[in-house]
Order: sequence, then structure tokens, then C-alpha cells
Amino acid sequence: MKFLVTLLLGCLCFLPTLSAATDSELPGKWTISGSIRDFSNGEDLTGATVYVTELNTGAVSDFYGNYSVTIPEGHYTIQYSFVGFETVQRKVHLDKNLVIHIELNPASETLKEVEITSEQANKNVVRPEMSTFKMDIKTIKSIPSLMGEVDIIKAIQLLPGVQAVSEGGSGFSVRGGAPDQNLILLDESTVYNASHLMGFFSVFNNDAIKDVKLYKGDIPPMYGGRLSSVLDVRMKEGNSKRFEVNGGIGIIASRLTVEGPIWKDRISFIVSGRRTYADLFLALSSEKALRDNKLYFYDLNAKVNYRINDNNHLFISGYFGRDVFKNDFAKMSWGNSTGTIRWNHLFNKKLFANFTFVYSDYRYMLGTPEGTTSSFEWNSNLRDAGLKGDLSYYINTNNTLHFGISGIYHMINPGVAGGTGSESAYTEVKVPDNFSLESGVYVSNEQKVGEHWTFKYGLRFSMFQNIGPGTIYNFDSLYNPIDSTVYPAGDFYNTYYGIEPRIGILYTFNESSSMKASYSRTNQYLQLAQNSTAGTPLDIWFSASPNVKPQVADQGALGYFRNFRRNTIETSVEVYYKQMNHVIDFKDFAQLLLNEKLEGEIREGKGWSYGAEFLFRLNEKKFGGWVSYTLSKSMRKIPEINNGDPYPAPYDKPHNVAIVANYRFLPRWSVSANWVYATGNPVTFPTGRAEIGGKVIPIYSNRNAYRYQDYHRLDMSVTFYSKEKEGKRFKWDINASVYNVYNRHNTWSINFVQDNENPNVTYAEKIYLFGIVPSVTFNFHF
Amino acid sequence: MKRITLYTLLLALITFACTERVDLNLDETYTRMVVDGGISNDTGSYQITLTKTADYFYNEPAPRVAGATVNLTNGTDNYLLHETEPGISGIYETDATFFGIIGETYTLDIDLNEPIDNLTTYYSSCQMMNVARLDSIQVVLETDWGPKGIWQIRVFAQEPGDETNYYMFHYYRNDTLMTDSIWKVAVSDDKYINGSYINGLAAIYINNENPWEAFNPGDKVTLKMSGITKEYYDFITQVQLSGFNIPFFTGPPANVQGNISNGGIGFFSAYSNTWGSTVVK
Repeated sequence: MKFLVTLLLGCLCFLPTLSAATDSELPGKWTISGSIRDFSNGEDLTGATVYVTELNTGAVSDFYGNYSVTIPEGHYTIQYSFVGFETVQRKVHLDKNLVIHIELNPASETLKEVEITSEQANKNVVRPEMSTFKMDIKTIKSIPSLMGEVDIIKAIQLLPGVQAVSEGGSGFSVRGGAPDQNLILLDESTVYNASHLMGFFSVFNNDAIKDVKLYKGDIPPMYGGRLSSVLDVRMKEGNSKRFEVNGGIGIIASRLTVEGPIWKDRISFIVSGRRTYADLFLALSSEKALRDNKLYFYDLNAKVNYRINDNNHLFISGYFGRDVFKNDFAKMSWGNSTGTIRWNHLFNKKLFANFTFVYSDYRYMLGTPEGTTSSFEWNSNLRDAGLKGDLSYYINTNNTLHFGISGIYHMINPGVAGGTGSESAYTEVKVPDNFSLESGVYVSNEQKVGEHWTFKYGLRFSMFQNIGPGTIYNFDSLYNPIDSTVYPAGDFYNTYYGIEPRIGILYTFNESSSMKASYSRTNQYLQLAQNSTAGTPLDIWFSASPNVKPQVADQGALGYFRNFRRNTIETSVEVYYKQMNHVIDFKDFAQLLLNEKLEGEIREGKGWSYGAEFLFRLNEKKFGGWVSYTLSKSMRKIPEINNGDPYPAPYDKPHNVAIVANYRFLPRWSVSANWVYATGNPVTFPTGRAEIGGKVIPIYSNRNAYRYQDYHRLDMSVTFYSKEKEGKRFKWDINASVYNVYNRHNTWSINFVQDNENPNVTYAEKIYLFGIVPSVTFNFHF
Repeated sequence: MKRITLYTLLLALITFACTERVDLNLDETYTRMVVDGGISNDTGSYQITLTKTADYFYNEPAPRVAGATVNLTNGTDNYLLHETEPGISGIYETDATFFGIIGETYTLDIDLNEPIDNLTTYYSSCQMMNVARLDSIQVVLETDWGPKGIWQIRVFAQEPGDETNYYMFHYYRNDTLMTDSIWKVAVSDDKYINGSYINGLAAIYINNENPWEAFNPGDKVTLKMSGITKEYYDFITQVQLSGFNIPFFTGPPANVQGNISNGGIGFFSAYSNTWGSTVVK
């Protein structure tokens, strides 16, 4: 803690120096700064472009819509643009610092095509940022979905380099990494389990989400703690102009969102809720056992946004979600809650800061009804509380400095189980709590050199400390527990450091083509004890410790980016190589739950993955979508697993294709389709058998020596919109979608079953989850 | 407790899943020795079955290993096992007067007349564990559970607190062994009950929907509770799950870990028993 305080103080002392520095400008140079917002609802526009036509230079607005450009005195035409919005031009005479707040109008459907394609839609080419993908909620909503529940994570799985881990699941693997190597943030708070209903739906309710950005590599130094990717999900701020209601009624869930100003242009709010009602159908069942079942989930998102003045902006946001399952025998519930308080402060025209408090809580409960001898309840939770300061200093048009500090305190209760009620025969078993502090400081600069080059160089220094009270088991070389060491409360008994360079180079050939290269090192101190491919809500996170080294990854990537037809077509090719050390797997038949000696079940080794990713993305007014193809390999080598020989990672799928298309063929009609193809998951199959006690038991091949059948699936949807009329506020649409149009029985798993009639006979039985699944959703807005 | 977890999660899943048989081409693997059998502290004849592994879709009874010399010892006494049909059956048994002594470690030595996996000798050792005395049992139909209710065989016994114990449960209906295959046997550790008086905790669950296993009033029910080693407990658990790959729950499939030397498959077990009986009301 002392370390953090010192750093924090150091940073704070640094601030006035910077603030002072900016006042003593270079002679003859002035700064234009301000914010860029959506005229219709007052939402900040992230990544909008500010372009100084005469100088062929500019800036991009940050997460909170703020921008800053410093240029010499003169007469300029400044262009403000954002994809999907009308471009605004301002003529300025710059002889002093200027503040210009801009509100952009969304391009209406009735506008001619010309205006909506802004000149600066080539951000993908000219920004020194690769291996990233940003999706707005509109794109996500146009993708056909399972049971009509449009889902961010399902959309992410259609991107190059991203693999779905299992059919219909919310787990995803980025460039051959494990699902727990993705940092999932909702308004900067970590979401530890993004799944609802065993992963068929994610925790993100689209109506409350503004946009999503995925970093597959080239991870900015402000992020740390995971090896493979960052999925940064931002909630809407709420309409600051007028009240608005959005809702939807689907076959399994309904949604309702209310947003509006509390104090026009100053304070706005949004509240959004969603609940499934699959179990309401169970009530109609003739079977008593099914009738009494409960199975549902709900989500609640809320955010308040207070623009105190031009320089201060306060956000408070929260998420709460639960899954509930109950029948005669058992009850179970699990879910996340997150909270964020963020203060956005502009020290001056060039120094922007963001101070954030984050809180995150994931917990589950499993139990049986009280009053019997076998009544029990089992609880586990993971809580995070953290503070962050992120600052951006726009030195001049050629240099932008980002720096910051963060500290997160992790509190893990891996599990406590015991009897409930006086009749229960069970005594309590508790795996000791685990406490740790994860902190980081970073600094990076983005520097333009000449007309063609941009360099990005940064360093993140991360630190992880185990804090007492804690009990650490000591193991011999065969992982047998010898004894344990107990550390007192407040004792920082173990520390790891990580030095994580993040470097990027951009070379622009011209307005529409560029080359990019990047290298990044990432460290991971928390991981999921998950041995299965799909994962369950019961999986627990565990931290680095004297027995568990931090995972470290080095990734290098190279890419070529080229736009065509006035940026309506974006294409890119990226190749990458990723090397991972101390990756984690588990011994055979590992016991991961309620096991205080979990660390003895871990086996660590190396992993590597490489691949090439091709993307072709079309952004016409009526026709949009993308085609992605990924050719990749992901391997693991762990001394105690598979005789120490390398084996394919569970998410190694060499070929992966996704085609996503949306076509608004008539003003009131649009159709969407997506087709995915992937090599079958690697799997271990039996090659021999033995008979034991009347059961045929399999003798297995090497780890992941076989593959399931190739996976492919087509989904389609059609949407019919209400008539657009001037002044008419009520709008609706009906969306009919079909998942798995040609009813392919994609393998979810294969079991080997002994025949009931003749126990000598065994056969393979495939489980598939979804045949053809049609659904209808009605959405409204006023 | 684990079983209930699995059951709960499976139920949530069953609403969606469908199954179909598929044809797979699987490779062949080399042949391994398989040993299956055990002894207890009750007097009687105990059988050890020796077989060989086969290709996975062999679909016939496992090839027997006949004509072997099988010897059992606790270090002081030697017991030679006799093949039930010499040179044919591959089943080797002790004399009917045999009984094991709690605490002793028994070793099974096998000499083959033809090598398997290039070896002619295999051996295995297992300690005969103690078991807490069963005070009584109770059979109850839990009517709230499932459509027709679930029968429970409940245990009353003092669990020893000074050691980690593992239990195996067999049951008989009217003196017929119902747990006649390893996948029907129930096992438990003492993690949640260590040192406490087991006051009617259910050891066996029977679905009243299935007429072939359901109880009727007047049925005599007998429970055999055995103290087993941790290795045997793990082995049974692994055997029961083997072949199943449910992406939610199971880790990567792996070969079951037995206690046969030289890469042999299977288990030679030694355990002690305690018995309880009741009549269903």
C-alpha cells in the first residue's frame, strides 16, 4: 500500500507542473479544445475526428468526447466528423486559445449518401492502433441472434482472431488465449463472469450499452492484468435533452430502458432492465417436477451523468444481474454487480484526467432446501475495489502523453460449504479467503514524426502482492502437500513485478493505406480455475501466489490496412505471434472446487499461438457487414501433461470464417444474415477399452489428438420498421430471426455410452444443443 | 454434495440438448493388462479377473488372461489363487476360508505365461482400511422429490474424527445385490461429516419411477458400508465418469488411475465392511 501511496503522491505532485507548463506556450501556438457530442441525446462521441484541413492534421476525441489540438496561429477550417453523423465545418481565426463544443447530428435515413460518409472515416488506416475492433450498438443489433436476444459477445465472436469457445457460449478465445485471459470491463469495472444461463446469453443488455471495443493485441498501457485481450464495454450516459423510452418484447426476455435529463444538458440518467421468462413456460408443463422449476435471469443497469461545468464531469454507474435456478432438490443463484464512480476533470486545455473508483462483485450460491439431513449451502464470492487515475496530456499535434496509476484490491472467498438447519448432518468446510493487491503505473507517448510515421511507445509497470491473512500450502516436487504456512493479517507475504513494454509503429503510405506493427507484453495475476471447455458459474478465480507464478505473454503483430471507395470498404491483413509463459492447465481429474489445496492441482507450462487474420468490411449506407477469415494455430506444452509433448489448445481451430451482412433493401425493410465456419474443436477420444466391474472404460488417445466435425451455421433475420414521419416520436420494429437456418446438428460434445441391452457394445453419442431456432422480437422507442 | 451439483446443472441443460448416435473412426492402441477385483475382512471366496484391453469398438467381452499364476500376500502369509476354469476363465479366486485383517497391506503378484505389453509380471498393493461401525439404517421415501419420489437409504454411525475416511456403499434388496456394477456403487469422503455423528445422512438414492430398483413395503434392505483407500475412492469416481464429456463439468478426458504396476489398468482393492438391515414400512 505504501508503494501505491507514494506513487499516487508522486503523480499528484507532477500534475501542477504539467498544468503550469501548458500555460507557458510555445510562442505563436494556440490550442483549440472542447467536447464533441451527439446532438440528439447529448451522449459523448468517442473517437470523433477533429481535422484541420489546411494543415492536414488533427485529433481524435477521447472516451469522454473531449479533444485538444495545438496548432500555430492562423486561419483554419476545422472539420468535425464521426461515422454515421453529419460532418460540421467551422472556420476559425486562431490567435488565442479557443474552446469549441460541437454537437453532431446523426445522419438521418432520408439524407443523401454523400453527406454521411465523412472524409475522416479512415481512422482504421491512419490511427496508430492495430488489432482492435470497435463496434457500435447499431451494428451489433443488426446481427441475427439466438432467440432474438442480440448479444455483444456473440458479435465479438464473429471478428477475425476471435473464436467462440463452445456452441452458444459466452466464452471466447482471442488469438489462441484462454477465455480467462480476456479482461472484460463494463464502465471500467471488471466483469468476472459475463455469462447468463450457462453462457447462452451475456450479461450485457444492449439497450444500456453505447459501444464496445475489443483489443486483441497492441493493448494500450492503461490496461493490464490479462494476457490476451481487453473488451471495453461502455454504458450509455442517458439522454440529456429529452426523455426517451426503449423497450423490447421477445420470446424469452423483455427489456425496458428509460433515460432522460434530470437537469437539461447537465444531469441525465438511464435505467435499463431485462428479465427472461423461460420458466413461465415451465409452469404450463404437465410434469409436476418441471412446473415447480424456476429458471431465469435479470439485469439492471443504471447510470447518472452530471456535467458540473466545462471542466468537470461526474459519472456514477452500476450493474446488477442474477441468474436464479430452483427446483425441488436444489437452488442456485449467481451473478455480478459492478459499480463505477468517475470524475472527469480537465486541468486545462491540454491536460485531461479521469479518476475512477471501481467495485466489482461476483458471487454464487448453491444449496438444497432446509429441513433435511442433507441440507447444505455453498457460497463463494470475489470482490474487487479499486482506484485509478488516467491522464492524457496533449503536448502538441505531434505528441500525446498518456499516463496513470491504478490499484485494485482483490478479496476472494473461494468457497464455504456446510449444512443448513438443525437437522443437517454436514459440518462446515471453508477454503481460506485470499487477499491481494494489484497495482500498476504506466506512461506512454504517441508521437508523429514527419508526414508518414507515428510511433507509440509506452511502459506499464505492474505489481502484485499477496496480503495476509493467508494460508499457503507447500508442495513437494510431486505436488503432494507437505505443510502449510499461515501469514498474519496485513502481511505482504509475496510480491511479483511485471515490466510490460507496449510499442507500436504506424507508417501511412497515403490517406487510404498504411502498415502497422506492434509489440506488447502483458502479465496476468488472476486466473480462472476452469478445467472444462464451456465453464460453469461455479468456476472460481484464484490469484498468483508463492506457488503460482504470474502468466506472461509477448505478442508481436504486423498489419497492412487499406481502404477503398472513399472509405466505404475497409480491408486489413494482420499476422501475429504470441508466446505465453506460465500458462495454466490442471492435472488429470483435478479437483477445483472447495479444495484448499487447489494450487497442487495446477500444472504450468508454455503456450504459443500464431496466425493470419483477414478482414473485409463494407460500410455502405444500405449495405453493411464484413467477411473475416482467420488461419491460426494455438498450442500448449506442459511437462506433466500429455507426456510433456505439445498439444493443441482447446480453442485451436485452424480455419475460421465469418460472413456478416445487413441490407436495408427498402426504407422499411432490412435483412441480415451471418454464416460462420470453423474447424472442429480438438478433442481426446478413446482408442482402446478395458472392462472393470461390469463397465467398459475408455483408454484415451493423446490429449486433443482428434477433432469434432467442422462447425458451420447460418442465421438470418428480417426487420420491418414503422413509418418514419416528421414529428412522430413513437417508432417500432419487428424482428424475426432464425438461428441455424439449415438445422445443422453441430457437435457440442461426444459421449461414449455402454449399450443397456448388450453391455459389451459401446457407441458414440453426439450431443448438440440447437437445431433450428426461430424467434420474434418486437422493439419500440419513443 | 457433488452429485447434487451435477444433477442441478444437468437439469438446467437438458431443456436444450439433443443427442444422436454417430459413427467415428478411432485409431488402435497397444494392448494393456487389466486387473479387476478385491478382498475384504469378511470370510469368503474373493475373485480377481484378469483381462486385456481391446480396440474401443471391439464390442465383445474383454479377452481373458488365462493360465496365470496369481498370489496374494500380506508379507507373512501367502495365498495362492486358483483359476475357476484352469486355462480358460481368467478368473482367479481365493479359498472360501479367506478373510483379510484390517490394517494389513495386501499385495497381489501376477505371473503371466505370455507377455502383455512386453511384460510377464504385474503386481499391486492395497491397504485394508478400517471402517466406522454402522449403528442402523433407515429407508425413507422423499415424496417431494421428482414425480414419484426418491428413496433414500440413510446411515446412522459415528464418523471417526482423527482420520480421513472414504466410504463405499453397496445395497441389497431381499438379499439380491442391487449395486452389481461399479457404476451403481456409491462412494463418499468425510469432508463434510468428519468426526460428527452421521444422523441419517442419505448414502443411496433410488428413483421410485424405476420399478426394477424401487422398494415396496415389506422389502428387506441391507446396506454394506466399506472403508476404502483414497486411491480406490478416486478410482471409482473416475470410472463412473469415464466416457462422459460434458463441456460444462468435465475436464479433458484422461485414463482412470488404478494401482496396477507397469502400466496395467484397473484396481486391486482391499476394504473392510460393516452391515445394516431394515424392512421397508
